[in-house]
Amino acid sequence: MSAPKRILFVMLILLLGLLSACSPAAPAETPAEEAAPVEEEAAPAEEAAPAEEEAAPAEEEEPAMEPVTIQVFYPVAVDAPIAAILQGYIDDFQAEYPYITVEPVFSGGYADVQTAIQTTIDGGGEPPALAVMLATAIYDLINADYIVPMDSYIAEMEGGDAYVADFLPAFLANSYYDDQLWSIPFQRSAVVMYYNADMFADAGLEPPTDWQTWAEAAQALTVTEGDVTNWGLHFSSDWPYWLFQPLAIGAGQNILEDDCTVTFDDPAVIEAVQFYIDLSEKYGAMPAGVQASWATDTSDLASGATAMIAHSSGSLSGLLEQSDFELGVMPYPGKEAGTTASVPGGGNFYMMKDVTPEKQAAAWKFIEFITRPEYVADFSINTGYIANRSSAYDTDAMQAYVADVPQALMTRDALQSAGAELATQNLGQVRGILHDYLQRAINGEMGAEEAMQAAQAEAEAALADYCE
Amino acid sequence: MESQVSRKPFKPLPYLLILPTAVFVAVFTVWPVLLSVYQSFFRQRMNIAKFREPSWIGLGNYIDLFQDPYFIKVIGNTLKYIVGTVPISIILGFLFALLVNRKVKGVGFFRLAFFHPMVLPMVSAATIWMFLFTPDYGLFNTAMRFLGYSGPENWTGNPGLALLSVIIVAIWKNSGYYMIFYLAGLQNLPGDVFEAAALDGANGWQVLWKITFPLLRRTTLFISTVAFIDAFRTIDHIYVLTAGGPSRGSTVLLFELWSQRFEYQDIGVSAAITVIFVVVLLAFTITNFLISERKEA
Repeated sequence: MSAPKRILFVMLILLLGLLSACSPAAPAETPAEEAAPVEEEAAPAEEAAPAEEEAAPAEEEEPAMEPVTIQVFYPVAVDAPIAAILQGYIDDFQAEYPYITVEPVFSGGYADVQTAIQTTIDGGGEPPALAVMLATAIYDLINADYIVPMDSYIAEMEGGDAYVADFLPAFLANSYYDDQLWSIPFQRSAVVMYYNADMFADAGLEPPTDWQTWAEAAQALTVTEGDVTNWGLHFSSDWPYWLFQPLAIGAGQNILEDDCTVTFDDPAVIEAVQFYIDLSEKYGAMPAGVQASWATDTSDLASGATAMIAHSSGSLSGLLEQSDFELGVMPYPGKEAGTTASVPGGGNFYMMKDVTPEKQAAAWKFIEFITRPEYVADFSINTGYIANRSSAYDTDAMQAYVADVPQALMTRDALQSAGAELATQNLGQVRGILHDYLQRAINGEMGAEEAMQAAQAEAEAALADYCE
Repeated sequence: MESQVSRKPFKPLPYLLILPTAVFVAVFTVWPVLLSVYQSFFRQRMNIAKFREPSWIGLGNYIDLFQDPYFIKVIGNTLKYIVGTVPISIILGFLFALLVNRKVKGVGFFRLAFFHPMVLPMVSAATIWMFLFTPDYGLFNTAMRFLGYSGPENWTGNPGLALLSVIIVAIWKNSGYYMIFYLAGLQNLPGDVFEAAALDGANGWQVLWKITFPLLRRTTLFISTVAFIDAFRTIDHIYVLTAGGPSRGSTVLLFELWSQRFEYQDIGVSAAITVIFVVVLLAFTITNFLISERKEA
């Protein structure tokens, strides 16, 4: 080849290389191969907006809809085949709404979904129309201007008020800010205490009714053989706020009042911290120090290495499968006899802001569809999440399931005594401060009172800018 | 067409060939670093409306960082982590290489055994270690008890042990990787030097320290650079094992950077930490490079 031809050839290769490197914005990397071509069509559709915009004004009554594709970013946070279940629902949805294509995008855990959304939006890309993120992320998302409220869609839909009222109040509590509804509950859970009812019966013990009987039962069920101890209670504390909250609620005061007021140094909260410490120090009923045992607690309970664990209601299906004893489920006993405490958790649907109105409308239709009572019931039965609507419990599928597995109703009933989950402004920092001092108290580096007072001071400083 | 002029004609081909790499380096390395330097002079937090738009504060982020006792603790943790992982994994790599540099039956199995941790993704390896570290019945604790250990077993929850547990996982993961480089280096050593040493009556120890190790100087330099940089870069196991805790006892610089950017949504501070990161690594790499160049001369 002559020199000019060689240069031309090389330039052609370079051009191809550079072109192949220039891929569309981040979302295109995550979906499955077959979804990618559809995404490519949707992206140019954004630029060729006029085509869709012209159809939009007439869309009120028009049954003929422009095809629209929406993405849903979702996490998988429990041991259940969420991806397959969601795909089943999406297939049903697309059968009913043929003009809407839904692309589910698995994005890791809750933190990863939020990170993916952030990086997409901050990088100037188009976010997915819907994302499932933690119910407590609401303030951060509103402040960052990523999401839109859903009141207008509720107002437009038939029986909108009844629709909202049907959700379990404990779950809906995290969706409101400034009198607007910002999220719809989806995969929700609650903190419960699982116990080995057979072990209790063998030891002649009743399920605990207050802190005193709880500690004594755990103490009685702690068995030491050689240098291995089977503790009566395992209580994970390496990501402590969620499992700790019902202790504070049970003592009489939750760790927060609203998005701008935390009550870490309230005497009742300090009492709850001290109770946690006493369980190992005074009663010898659980391992000392911070327990990094979330992942192993369920198998420990199932194998008989422990008698009680504090865990998520989402672990119910897995535990039922693994245990060959009668599994008891209850909220934490409260400090006073006859009281109980719990706290909700899990993720909600959020609708992103920087998305065309057509996509938002399609996204709302999807939310409406997937929160129908029969789907809510099906999701709960197959994953262990708590069905978040009252009407779901009236469906045949749920009635049959609950007859077989009464524990499923116990997890729902735990919500009766639930307080609000920790959700504040500047949540990442406030939560980090709580974790820091809670763990120092648990590890004995600081006294409970000293630690919680320091936590309160730092949290107030962290909230100052956000709450003036 | 040959030119008669004494100056060489400009050949664009080499530059064209490195153009793609240059473009990628510029776009994915140089540009983000410059952007981070720029962003570090502003206050910008995405989770609060009044700080969403960047506002100039000069060196404010840096001053706040170095006055924050948490950040000083993070730096301390990072230094401890570096000192804990880098020398030990290099020494172990060297020892393993010496052990497997022989033609005995089954040496392939040992090479595989030492190297396989490197092949595992860090998150998978950390998850396995999470179960190994379980108090009472975790395999690591069982093995330690068998060897006579009777101390605390709460590796990931004990503030004194959490950093040590992530150091252990890092050493386990990387030693095999450095072993490969040392093995290659050992096998490339000239045989005549060792013959001469044998003739002069040198014992094994003298051969090792006076001949083998000095001859592997360039390999050691390369490995120490890689190990140092890798110790800064890898935090997946910290995320899985300890989540930076307890009480931030195992938070290192990159983990703090991630927290600042994605948990606290603080773009200014995370950019400042990025700049500190880059400066430290650049200083180390340049120093290493200069030292090696001088030694060559």
